[in-house]
Amino acid sequence: MLTINNLFAGYGKVQVLHGISIEVPKGQVVTLIGSNGAGKTTTMRAVSGMIVPSAGDIVLNGKRIEGLESFHIAKLGLAHSPEGRRVFATMTVTDNLVLGAFPRLTGSRPKGDVAADLERALELFPRLKERREQLAGTLSGGEQQMLAMARAIMLNPEVVLLDEPSMGLAPILVNEVFRIIERLKNEGVTMLLVEQFAAAALAVADYGYVLENGRISVHGPADKLRDDPAVKAAYLGGGGH
Amino acid sequence: MKRTHLALAILGIIALLLFPLGVGNPYYIHLLETIMIYAIVLFGLDIVVGYTGQVSLGHAGLFGIGAYTAGVMVMKLGTPLLVTLIASVGVTALFGAILALPALRVSGPYLAMVTLAFGTIIQILINEMTFLTEGPMGIKLTKPSLLGLKLDEREFFWLVAVLMVLALIVVHRVLRSHLGRAFEALRGSPVASDCMGVSVYRYKVYAFVISAGFAGLAGALYAFSEQYISPNSYNFELTVLFLLAVIMGGRKSRIGALVGATIIVLLPKLLDDIEMFRYVSVALAVGVATVTVLGIRKGRVTPKQMAIPLVGSIALAGLSFWLQTMTDWRLSIFGVIMLFVVYYLQDGIVGFVRSALNLARPKPEEQLASVSLRGGDALSSSATSGSSEILTADGVLMQFGGLKALNDVSLRIRRGTIHGLIGPNGSGKSTMMNVLTGIYVPTAGTIAFEGRSVVGRTSSDIALSGIARTFQNVQLFGEMTALQNVQVGLHHSFASNLFDVAVHTPRYRRESKAATERALGLLQFVGLADLAFEEARNLPYGKQRLLEIARALALDPQLLLLDEPAAGLTAPDIKELISFIRKIREHGVTVILIEHHMDVVMSMCDTVSVLDFGQKIAEGRPAHVQADEKVIEAYLGGQAA
Repeated sequence: MLTINNLFAGYGKVQVLHGISIEVPKGQVVTLIGSNGAGKTTTMRAVSGMIVPSAGDIVLNGKRIEGLESFHIAKLGLAHSPEGRRVFATMTVTDNLVLGAFPRLTGSRPKGDVAADLERALELFPRLKERREQLAGTLSGGEQQMLAMARAIMLNPEVVLLDEPSMGLAPILVNEVFRIIERLKNEGVTMLLVEQFAAAALAVADYGYVLENGRISVHGPADKLRDDPAVKAAYLGGGGH
Repeated sequence: MKRTHLALAILGIIALLLFPLGVGNPYYIHLLETIMIYAIVLFGLDIVVGYTGQVSLGHAGLFGIGAYTAGVMVMKLGTPLLVTLIASVGVTALFGAILALPALRVSGPYLAMVTLAFGTIIQILINEMTFLTEGPMGIKLTKPSLLGLKLDEREFFWLVAVLMVLALIVVHRVLRSHLGRAFEALRGSPVASDCMGVSVYRYKVYAFVISAGFAGLAGALYAFSEQYISPNSYNFELTVLFLLAVIMGGRKSRIGALVGATIIVLLPKLLDDIEMFRYVSVALAVGVATVTVLGIRKGRVTPKQMAIPLVGSIALAGLSFWLQTMTDWRLSIFGVIMLFVVYYLQDGIVGFVRSALNLARPKPEEQLASVSLRGGDALSSSATSGSSEILTADGVLMQFGGLKALNDVSLRIRRGTIHGLIGPNGSGKSTMMNVLTGIYVPTAGTIAFEGRSVVGRTSSDIALSGIARTFQNVQLFGEMTALQNVQVGLHHSFASNLFDVAVHTPRYRRESKAATERALGLLQFVGLADLAFEEARNLPYGKQRLLEIARALALDPQLLLLDEPAAGLTAPDIKELISFIRKIREHGVTVILIEHHMDVVMSMCDTVSVLDFGQKIAEGRPAHVQADEKVIEAYLGGQAA
């Protein structure tokens, strides 16, 4: 579904990614783990077109998307739930969700039944349903995170990028976020997940990649990675929840 | 300054001083003189626009005040030149303070409107106050005398040149100093500036005053240069030209100001004459082509990016040969060039050339190579005397409309401990931080830090008394380097004033060197020494959080508030974070820690307070809190970390 091939990217003079390759098959959850500054968020931003990669190619559903503008990539079916949430603070929860379906409303993606999908998204996130007419800026951090995820789903996307969905959330909400990721996975949503809680991420994912200084150091099925002593020592020790 | 740069600068100054000897034509001497006078205005305007990030459309008004102060003083009182210049600077600086007042309340388009009104009012006042200014008649002046010697056109040129170079040096030194860093910090994050003890209020006024002083100097020189001033000269068009010059030349650059001044003076003149226009447009096309070729070869730009500028400049050159006369086309061509530059060269001409040729911005402190790091870490030990409670909050109520974000919360923080503050998202933890640091004034309740009330004091005052903090949503000064960010935190260590900075007194040199060493030491402490010259916005998220801690430590705080320092960090980074929070405590600094990572909270905190819906629901030792039914239900969710 999503193939990243030998990708190089960075900011200005700083080169962050040094040729990484990642494969996200349809219907699977793939997670990207690594320490701070390894390039996880940079990978996400390059895929969704927020930065232009300096080399390499990214293929979504058979189409080359590297270097395209973000809105164009979204139209091709890639939804990005960004680090730090970024909801439209002065709009209601419902309006935020409907905006997530914008390319469907303008006809650049198959329309389907937006109203039904809205209800489905609200069912998936009951906390949002209670607050559907509230302004997004007045939601608590956890609710905003759920809104960002729900908004991404509203695109009816081919692939969802989830960047640090549990960041800054109370432990009780971290558990809920992972339950929701599990549920989305069961519904067949393809996801690329970046998470600080590497153990929890590997528990929900099918396949994992370890990113070290902008290069993939290890990759393999998630359960294998979880048992890998090197990965355990470096990324799972003490940080699990 | 590098030796080649110094040599180039001296060559430039010599060429400038020889110019009137080589070129006898008074028209060209006057033209260059005008460029230099405008450059002085732009040096000042760049402080406000480029560094503090405020828009000012009032600078033509300030320029006019300078000119009229000089004109009126010479006409009514016959004051000598030096007195006149000093008075012009002083009076205009005073008006700069007035112009700064709206900037304290509004920003962006609103500030633009208000400063525009200021400029218009000044113009009208000059026009109406005939008893002082002769109104629309204007004031005629002669070239001034200096030390009893009547200056001619050429000698006055030298005077302007010397003052321009002096202005350049002073502005450059101010902007490289702690003052300049304070101005730039305002732009990056006003909240963080205040919390680093850099009063936004004071430094905004300061920036406008210094900026106005230069406009005043330029205005006075302009009056003598033109030998005639009238209200119409200081109009809206001029103010827009000034702003355009800063943007086109390149903000945050003295060379940019010189380039900008040259463009706004010469371009209209060049467009008067078709022959001249042909030369200029061909030169422009050749220039753009050269930069394109060099840029592509160095891999800095792609052919696609450069296509439109290249084609555009060649088309302009073509047009110049196709046109027979200029008169009908002058304004439209002027407009197109402006549009072109502003659209394509967003960093200005200087920024564009710099990035296309891959010239790094000069490092902020060239002498750094010689700075030796002192042994150990750069943390200063905090005094451990005084009462056992460093901070006491009693019955704090914070109400936003009908919402009680904090409802009767009391906290007692013991000196030298790490005090955890946990609770669900939206329970009031960050609100508590904001109340403690003066960002919010609580609706009711008392807060005492070191026995002194905090309530009602400004954030910068509280920061200087010893409370430092980090922010949940990172609030770094993005365009500044990591080193400069920490140096802003060290602002309190400077006693130097504007004069010290301008002449580089031993006091300033000593303080500057000490601050640089401290800042590097603090960066080393958090493990960012090798990223000292990277712009803060280019650092990965986790490193930005560490940089915030280094910056907070620069304040030499008694009490450090950390708002979710581990958010977005992975397991190995968290271990490192824990080790240096412990080290901070070993230096006697008391820490309040907001954190969702229970392993961090439980392993480090001496006491933990739990908030839910703005109320304290539990407090005690970590193990005790962790087992509390209410905490598990509201926060931990059955599964403790």
